[in-house]
Formats: sequence, structure tokens, C-alpha cells
Amino acid sequence: MANPRFSIGDEVTVRDETTLFHTRTQKFARGRTGVVVEHRPEWVIPEDEAFDRMETGRKEPFYVVRFKQTELWPGYTGQSIDTLESEFSERWLVPA
Amino acid sequence: MTSMHDGHDGHNTFPVSSKVSEFEILELAVRELAIEKGIFSAEDHRRFAEWADGVGPHGGSKLVAKAWSDPAFKEKLLTKGTEACKEVGIDWLQPTGTGTPSDYTFFYVLENTPKVHNVIVCTLCSCYPRPVLGMSPDWYRTPAYRRRMVNRPREVLAEFGLHLPDDVEVRVHDSNQKSRFMVMPMRPDGTEGWSEQELAEIVTRDTMIGVALPDPKVRVPVPAGEVHQ
Repeated sequence: MANPRFSIGDEVTVRDETTLFHTRTQKFARGRTGVVVEHRPEWVIPEDEAFDRMETGRKEPFYVVRFKQTELWPGYTGQSIDTLESEFSERWLVPA
Repeated sequence: MTSMHDGHDGHNTFPVSSKVSEFEILELAVRELAIEKGIFSAEDHRRFAEWADGVGPHGGSKLVAKAWSDPAFKEKLLTKGTEACKEVGIDWLQPTGTGTPSDYTFFYVLENTPKVHNVIVCTLCSCYPRPVLGMSPDWYRTPAYRRRMVNRPREVLAEFGLHLPDDVEVRVHDSNQKSRFMVMPMRPDGTEGWSEQELAEIVTRDTMIGVALPDPKVRVPVPAGEVHQ
């Protein structure tokens, strides 16, 4: 697998694709923009793991993305400094 | 108005536990098939369930207490979580040699600071750092916690009795993939000179989920020595 496409500090948007199948990409994050804050090791993407393709499945870098809560939830009732972090495989992210 | 709870219908009036879910039926069916096919025995299953239920949050308490007492260990815990666990007797690869399918071996400890308060949730299911905290509490797995902690974290924390100042960032960690997380709370004032064992006793389960803060007046017994897996 090539080097990770995104670097720490990059702004990324989660692709707004189908919510069918085993993606482990939450609907609430789709179409939302955040910042890459950490790299995670490559592993088999959930789409292939779901079919137990642990040896032959596609491996990809994963990233921790930090979102502002106000970006995720219209009318967020907390503070504007509040954040949420979650992990995404490379295929789910595009440059913002 | 009569109701099924008025005790006059001749049936028992004890509270009835919730209905068996489809997932519980599925688990039972798969388990019975596995036993019939000789993949494992009913006794093996009982032993494993007993072991899994017996894992408590003491491992996590010891990790935090050790990190509070030893800056070098704290650095290791924050950068090499899985490795650091071995120093209190927890090997994430056990009991199978490769970990369990849902307790993967990427373990990250989230350090609270005066400016950031961390809290963990799994919106997709119930991912939880079981090797260090044991089985998750029932409420952690409820849709109410999972839905509301991500979009109304301050309200949920307030319901747990935790009111954070407006200038402290609440950082929610949704463990949606392979990583597992645990919160390292800040060491409270009033614990100067305490031993690791004393410190471990105030690092309760909820403080490591992030819905509470350690309180020197609230102590839960923690067995001394390494955690027995």
C-alpha cells in the first residue's frame, strides 16, 4: 500500500455515500468536514472484513478525524469548542 | 382502569425482565449449534463467560494510578498503550493469542487536561476496552447513551452529575473502528503522597469512560498486585 494520502492537519470531508452494507462510517459524519489529527495502522476495510476476507481483503490507511460538534449537528447545544473524533478508512475521505 | 400490573388477574405480579432480543436468540442458536458440532463444550462456554464476567475495571485503575505516579510510565501508556498494559498483567492478545474478534489490539489512552475532557462511546454497537475495563455497563450499550453522547454530550454528562466549565472542550471519541479507548482522568488535589494502590481506588470505571471525575472521598477497593487474566 502506498503512503497515506492525507497528512496530519489536512482538512478532509467524509464522502456522502450509501449507508447500505458494513462500512462502519456513521451516517452523521457523511458529508461533514474535519481535520486529520492522527494516523492509524493499515488494516482490512470493514467492507471486506464483513465477508471474513481477512487475508485477501483490501487494506487501507485509517485516520482519526476531529470534527467541530457545530459542524456535525445543526443547533448543537454545547459549547463551540466541543469536538468529536472518529476513525475512517482512506476511501471514505476526500480533500476538503 | 385495570392494568396487567394490578395483581388481580391471577398471574404473577413480579416485575418481568425485558423481552429476549433477536440477537440473544441468534447467540443462543449459534452457541447450541457449536456445542452440538463439538466446536466447544457447554462447560467451555460457561468457563469463558465466567472469566469474561469476572474481568473488572481494576486493570484500568492500576494503569492510571501508575501513570500518575511515574512520568516515564505515563509516556509509555500514552504512546504504546497495548505494551504498557503488560506491566500491570494485561495482555491484549489473550486469551486466544490474537485477541478476541471485537477487542482488537490498538489501545489508546486519552489524557484529560485542564482544557480537554475526553469521553468514550460507540455509536455503532458497544465497542469498549474490555481487557482493561471488563464488561461495559448496561447503560453504555443503550441506544439512549449511544445516540445522545455524540450530539448532546454536556447534557448527558450533567445527568451523570458532571458539570464541566464552558471553557473546557468536551471531546467525544466514537470508537467506530478497531481502536479501543480509555480516558486517563486528571489526578485530583488532595492525593499528594498517596501510594499507587490508594490512587487506583479512586480511579473508578466511570472516570475512565469519562462520565465522572475521580474524587478522593470516593474509593472502590482494588485488589493489589497484577491483574489475573
